[in-house]
Amino acid sequence: MTDWQWLLIDVLQALAAGLLVGGTYGLMCVGLGIIFGVMRVVNFAQGDFMMLGMYVAYYLVTGFGVLAFLGPYAAPIVGAALAGPVVFVIGTLLHRTLIARVTGARVVSAEAEGHYAQIILTLGVALVLANGGLILFGSQPVSVQNPLSRESWEIGLVLFNQARTVSFAIAVACALGLYLFLTRTSLGRALRAAADNPIAAAYVGVDVDRAHRLAFGLGVGITAVAGGLIAGTQSFQPYIGFDFVITMYAGVVLGGMGSILGAFWGGLTIGLVQQMSTLVLPYQLQNTAIFVVFLLIIFFRPQGMFGRVWERT
Amino acid sequence: MPNPMLSIRSLDVAYGGLRALRSVSLEVGQGQLVTVVGANGAGKTTLFKTISGTVAPLAGEITYDGRNLLAVPSAERAQLGIAHVPEGRQVFASMTVMENLEMGAYTRNGRARRSELMPAILELFPVLADRRNQLAGTLSGGEQQMLAIGRGLASAPRLLMLDEPSMGLAPTIVDDIFERIKQVHRQHGLTVLLVEQRATEALEACDRGYVLETGRVVLEGPRDTLMSDARVRRAYLGM
Amino acid sequence: MAPPRASLHRSYLAIGAFAAGYLVVGVLVRNSYYQQIMTLVLLWAAMGLSWNMLSGYSGLISFGHAAFFGLGGYTMTIAFVKFGLTPWLGIPLGMAVGVLAGIVIGITTFRLRGHYFALSMLAYPLAMLFVFEWLGYQEVTLPMMRTAPALYAQFADQRIYMALAMVLAVACMVVSLHVERSRFGLSLLAIKQNEPAAEAAGIDTLSWKMRAIMLSAAMAAAAGGLYAVVLLVVTPQSMFGVATSAQALIVALFGGVGVYWGPVIGAAVLVPLAETLHAELGHIIPGIQGVVYGLAIIGIILLASDGIYWRIHDRWVPRRRTEPDAAAPLGAPAPAAAAAASAVPAAAARPVAAGPALLKLDGVVRAFGGLKAVDGVSLTVAEGAIHGVIGPNGAGKTTLFNVINGFLPPDAGSIRFAGAEIAGLRPHGVCRRGIGRTFQVARAFPRMTVLENVMVGAYVGASTDAEATELALTALARVGMERDALSVADGLTNNQLRRMELARALAPSPRLLLLDETLAGLGHEELEELLRIIRQVNASGVTVVIIEHTMHAMVKLADTFSVLDHGRLIAEGPPAEVVRDPAVIEAYLGKKWMAHAKPDAQHPVA
Repeated sequence: MTDWQWLLIDVLQALAAGLLVGGTYGLMCVGLGIIFGVMRVVNFAQGDFMMLGMYVAYYLVTGFGVLAFLGPYAAPIVGAALAGPVVFVIGTLLHRTLIARVTGARVVSAEAEGHYAQIILTLGVALVLANGGLILFGSQPVSVQNPLSRESWEIGLVLFNQARTVSFAIAVACALGLYLFLTRTSLGRALRAAADNPIAAAYVGVDVDRAHRLAFGLGVGITAVAGGLIAGTQSFQPYIGFDFVITMYAGVVLGGMGSILGAFWGGLTIGLVQQMSTLVLPYQLQNTAIFVVFLLIIFFRPQGMFGRVWERT
Repeated sequence: MPNPMLSIRSLDVAYGGLRALRSVSLEVGQGQLVTVVGANGAGKTTLFKTISGTVAPLAGEITYDGRNLLAVPSAERAQLGIAHVPEGRQVFASMTVMENLEMGAYTRNGRARRSELMPAILELFPVLADRRNQLAGTLSGGEQQMLAIGRGLASAPRLLMLDEPSMGLAPTIVDDIFERIKQVHRQHGLTVLLVEQRATEALEACDRGYVLETGRVVLEGPRDTLMSDARVRRAYLGM
Repeated sequence: MAPPRASLHRSYLAIGAFAAGYLVVGVLVRNSYYQQIMTLVLLWAAMGLSWNMLSGYSGLISFGHAAFFGLGGYTMTIAFVKFGLTPWLGIPLGMAVGVLAGIVIGITTFRLRGHYFALSMLAYPLAMLFVFEWLGYQEVTLPMMRTAPALYAQFADQRIYMALAMVLAVACMVVSLHVERSRFGLSLLAIKQNEPAAEAAGIDTLSWKMRAIMLSAAMAAAAGGLYAVVLLVVTPQSMFGVATSAQALIVALFGGVGVYWGPVIGAAVLVPLAETLHAELGHIIPGIQGVVYGLAIIGIILLASDGIYWRIHDRWVPRRRTEPDAAAPLGAPAPAAAAAASAVPAAAARPVAAGPALLKLDGVVRAFGGLKAVDGVSLTVAEGAIHGVIGPNGAGKTTLFNVINGFLPPDAGSIRFAGAEIAGLRPHGVCRRGIGRTFQVARAFPRMTVLENVMVGAYVGASTDAEATELALTALARVGMERDALSVADGLTNNQLRRMELARALAPSPRLLLLDETLAGLGHEELEELLRIIRQVNASGVTVVIIEHTMHAMVKLADTFSVLDHGRLIAEGPPAEVVRDPAVIEAYLGKKWMAHAKPDAQHPVA
């Protein structure tokens, strides 16, 4: 094999890895995209809800072994899927008690700070969740036992980690399911309408407050499923949420803030950027590449790939 | 007027720190097309927002079909059969024409009568049928206005309210829009409340009208009385 | 703002008393762990003050102050470890590096709006974190200098560190104090409240923001450097981590945003709480610190969103209520004469102004996308006139104002003011040339006095605070509010708000005043009052250009009208003529109006 051929293999490998990782990132970003698209809320705690999802999956599969009866192959998948509804419930509860008090049509702010109240509140929630997680779950890194994470399929000379491939497939399936929900169902359309134009949505009879609550729960729930999938492929600890905040926002901004489905493509692209960057950058700097891309987008094309330029009035 | 569909009495509304409406009273009878005209800043849009529930009044009553509308939360007013076609169209730009119309049918009545209403709306506005899968944000101003009206009609309303449908549209398109409004009113006996800045077209189309000036009703009466009344001009131009 | 001398001295005394008292307590405390907590309180107070300097005063919320903190800490550390440079020099070096970073970050990030700004600020320190980890600085310990430790800022007695930290904290407090009481602070506050209005009032917003971030960065870098000296261990997480940025923000928001005591209160409450809980329960409940800070900020946002200081301040400090409008403000003619004068239409009561052209627009075009909002408008405003710009909704009036004012550059055409071209100038530049502007939504700074609110506008015409006060008082007299000068602006009536807004625009003695819907929604008496004030202002030599919708007021006020429709000028002339012009009637009422026109037996004689 010549050097060029090895390089090609490397590039293909990075592409493959990027694609697989990107699928899960895409799902993660879609969750954030829903919240941002419908509520226009910058949710700092998104990564921590993902962390909750990871732990839900962990305890269901490995920690308490509730799903052990499903066997070692199915359990991680079901665990990840169940993380969604659990975190959905937590999210809607949190929205009702806290978030709704600083967001939504009812809030009228006289001071300029009022505009930031929701970001800062979610920062507080993030701190409580992450550190609360530390208290509840301990600081030892854990992961969901997944026999597939040690196996790889081989196509040509390119390796496809099995766990990641399965996660990719599920992530895509979930995103597809969400797409169908948003486009084919009345409730999904109502959510999109509330995201597009809350004034007009109210006029046609959509309960915008309820739409916000649903969007928040759905958004954190979906990101939690992505987390559950990631939990089967790497180890994690309660502070992992912070690691992903910028990644998620990079994906959402790249896809276009306000475009729920653009967020998927944004996340996918970020995954690709991250993996491709290992070809030229040292391993530790792969996240720096994401940051650089993130800053570049914000400066030069803030509306991203699919979004519209919007200003919060 | 016995049993008007919509009855507003002594409405006082403050909006944005200003007293926008002062002791406004008006009535819309079943099957009538009633117009409210006035210059910008006269309070027309505030009137609309108060009826739809976006703004709460300081004093006064609004009665719809005999019930106190102010006691109904704004999200439910659409379900009562009041369709609100807002100022500036406010279409769902990222959704297709058909999806916009589907959103119009979000109310109970709309869903029930969807199969008969959709074809009727597309017949009324053929250009919407042509562009059914196009994103609403890419339509022209006039087309968006027709979509907004269609969306309002899709909710199977008993009262259709239009807020400045002519805004930002070229005069010929405005004529077209008003023709359709009159057509809907005539053919289906739909009760219409039309709020407009362009007095002539609006007053021509109406059965009865009101003229607002700085938040007060300064003139009211049947169409022929109002058309070309110098007092209307004075309400707009001050002298 | 020039408060009386006593007040500034009182603040110094308070700071001094605080410092003295604190250090006395510190000396008395024996346990070195508690001593360290007391040191940390002061360091975090300084960090909170640094956050306040940028974000608290100007409203640009930064989630990335750890960037400056970390740069300061690492500069000092690397200089020490690699080059043997003493921290006494290393910390100032770190401050310089911080300031440099502040400049770079400011230039690139200040043009971002809202959420994008917050997210970028979050990204910077995290990017630095990865870089430093990659560079191999996982954990750096400062070497112990056995000989001459004091030369390297190493002391056995923790209380000396406390004193050093106190020096830093006091320095930050004093700097903040002076900023708050100067035009610097007032300008930042204006930017926070309403940036476009601040620009139009002559404030160079970018310049002040840059100054704020440079000062803020220096303070944070100093805190970072001293923090490293105290703790002797530096890791990328502790220097650049999200927790650090969050703590700076929380300490300031919790204690009181926008006031120099705020971060001190916040640090004094939260740091000991978190540290003690961590010491006592940290082995059972790790992460208790984070929970404390998280709950603190959630609680404050929901219950007292400006912070503890303001909650106490608003409750205890009595506020001078503004007095209801008096019938005859100073300098006005006797009420009877005034009432008579205002009843007669303006055209009869005053000679028509026919001065030379003060403002001349020539072929001004401004388009958005394909739509020409202003389509080749040429008009001339004579000096000394009251010139009304009217037209139906969407005619382009506000866009025209925004172009004259500098918020939007014209796509074509020229704008000459007093003979000089002003097209392309930024709003504060236009203001400096002598054009003032009011805005539709008048926003006051609720906790400041009426005088201070007006001084924001006065600064552009004044070089000292005393001069600015003078100008502000004069302006207030012109609108009849000089007796309300020292009342707190919160609780002004709508009418008073508008007059105050007018005073702010008048403070730098402009030659031309752009009034944007100043009369909207007023009741009859309030309207008459405001019309009288505008006429007085005009009589004193200020040319007025006014956009209005309330036509019955405009026809009494203006000398001439320019009528816009669809971005074009369709008529010009005295009100009585313009209002009868068929083109104007058509624009307002529709083209078929004239066809139906009935003879009008009732129109008033001009």
